[in-house]
Amino acid sequence: MTPKVERLVNLTIALLEARRPITFAELKRRTRYYDQGDPESARRMFERDKKLLRSLGVPIETHELAFSDEVGYRVPRPAYELPDPDLTPGEVAALGLALEASGADDSRLALAKLAARAPDPDEFEPITHTRLTLAADPVDQVAEAVATRTPLRFDYRTAAGRAELRRVRPHAIAHRRGAWYLVAHDLARDALRVFRLDRVRGTVRTDGEPGSYPHPDELDVAGLIAGPEGERVEVEIAAEDRARFELARRGAVPTDTSHGDRTVLRIPELDELRDRAWLLGFGADVEVLAPAALREQLIDALERLVAQHR
Amino acid sequence: MSARDSVARMLTLVPWLLERPGASLAEAATAFGTDPATIRRELLHLDFCGLPGLAGGDLFEVELIGDRVVLGMADELTRPLRPTPQEAYRLVLTLDAAVVALGDELPQLRVAVDKVRSVLGIPEQQADVVPDDEDTALLAAARAAVRAERRVRLRYRGRGDAAPATREVDPWALDLVDGHGYLQGFDHEVGERRVFRLDRVLSLEPTDIPVITPAPEQLPPPRYVPSPDDLEVELRFERGARWLLDAIDADRIEDHDDGTTRCVLRTDAPEFIARLVLSGGGDLTVVRPAKLRARVRELAEAALAGYRLDGGAS
Repeated sequence: MTPKVERLVNLTIALLEARRPITFAELKRRTRYYDQGDPESARRMFERDKKLLRSLGVPIETHELAFSDEVGYRVPRPAYELPDPDLTPGEVAALGLALEASGADDSRLALAKLAARAPDPDEFEPITHTRLTLAADPVDQVAEAVATRTPLRFDYRTAAGRAELRRVRPHAIAHRRGAWYLVAHDLARDALRVFRLDRVRGTVRTDGEPGSYPHPDELDVAGLIAGPEGERVEVEIAAEDRARFELARRGAVPTDTSHGDRTVLRIPELDELRDRAWLLGFGADVEVLAPAALREQLIDALERLVAQHR
Repeated sequence: MSARDSVARMLTLVPWLLERPGASLAEAATAFGTDPATIRRELLHLDFCGLPGLAGGDLFEVELIGDRVVLGMADELTRPLRPTPQEAYRLVLTLDAAVVALGDELPQLRVAVDKVRSVLGIPEQQADVVPDDEDTALLAAARAAVRAERRVRLRYRGRGDAAPATREVDPWALDLVDGHGYLQGFDHEVGERRVFRLDRVLSLEPTDIPVITPAPEQLPPPRYVPSPDDLEVELRFERGARWLLDAIDADRIEDHDDGTTRCVLRTDAPEFIARLVLSGGGDLTVVRPAKLRARVRELAEAALAGYRLDGGAS
């Protein structure tokens, strides 16, 4: 009996070479496979082979045939063949080093595919000083939906802690600061929403056909993930010296005035919504002088904190 | 080696070898991240591949001369198979993270990733690793110091520190774990290995002093591993503070019907937790222990005292 790997490669070639969709019977004639005595088990073997090839990405199409009860199979070349990205030797080397520093061994085959026609890589010094780790597993459950524009449904743990069914049209996958996000159009809310993949509960299921919707022409993924922005305001604070370095990282500059024995600093652009928590974290080391509204909010928050920890 | 892996490799091996007549088994093994024996075995299978059946078959011709390979009669497979969406998105996102981390050091990488995105049909608006602008400059400075093997002077605020302190460090390695940067090295203050989180580094100043303590052969991963001796803390998050959950490694998270979330964690830095609770501004409460509750109250009262001193006038 022919080894399985040869049968699978040859089935791929036969389907690629077919100029029109061919039936199972024709495939049997062309490849001389699937001709064992029991037609049932032969058919089952063919189904298993098809499934395995599809899982590798071989785009096996199924066609209804005119004047026949049978279906025809074919692999269209443009859908199968990866175009040549035309990489230079330096670029192949850079990609290799980047994947090596990432420990992404499972991406070696992908790199070989991309560099199939490229000249041999330049010799670069290996990167030993930086190690990258990116746990990319959550990408798998939504990658196909984004690629093929297929609607999805899943249970999602909301900020309020409840699980809710969400039906969405996925547009993008993104990562920021240790978290994976799906950017998608939420059908019930009829608006773009950002979902943290670690809050998805259970299995993600398809909820429609591939190609059901277009991706938007423009999408500000980074902006959507950063969350709602408050108004940008100029903030004046009096700070202890030990907090100065940390404040300087956010653009705080000293002014000529002082407040008691503290210097007054000015931060030209602070986000009222997002940076309130950051300012609170300094405790007594930072006092907000202006704007008055922000000052009042911080006093309220501190009073609540005291009341809740009595 | 599963049949699936072999088939995936063989379908790419064919176009790869067609471009490189006379390539060695070792070269192919390196390019595909496997060993020469596996490549040899798969070549023997490819000798029986092509279009069998038709008049004795129209098969590939595999010639092995020593460890050199020449492949012919394989026009059916001149291009590699496209990666699956999973492979393609993983690859693009991994490379995108590498651009953020190493981009200034590998100038060709950015162009290469753009070309890869283009043939895979994955633009930035479909897959993106969003960098943290604040960390990018520090990252480059830290990497330069590790490469140059020169001591650095850090202004650093550790998890438990009330105020930042200056640390003199022999830098050994830079780790980027899921978007968080860590600098590992020998801390001259304490005379031991220490891990510094880049988002707590306020400034990094290079010096001309060579590194005097060599890095150990194996550097352990930079993550904080809770020990059973740590303080156990229970926190209650109101809806408004839920996003702060992302800042901690919780042992247990429970959602309650009233919309709050309870979380239990262990920590070696209660002061860090106290300041996190302050950030919550009343939407985050310490349930236990009582000592930490008291500490939060103390910090909040001290801050309020400063505001009241001004009599509310601002």
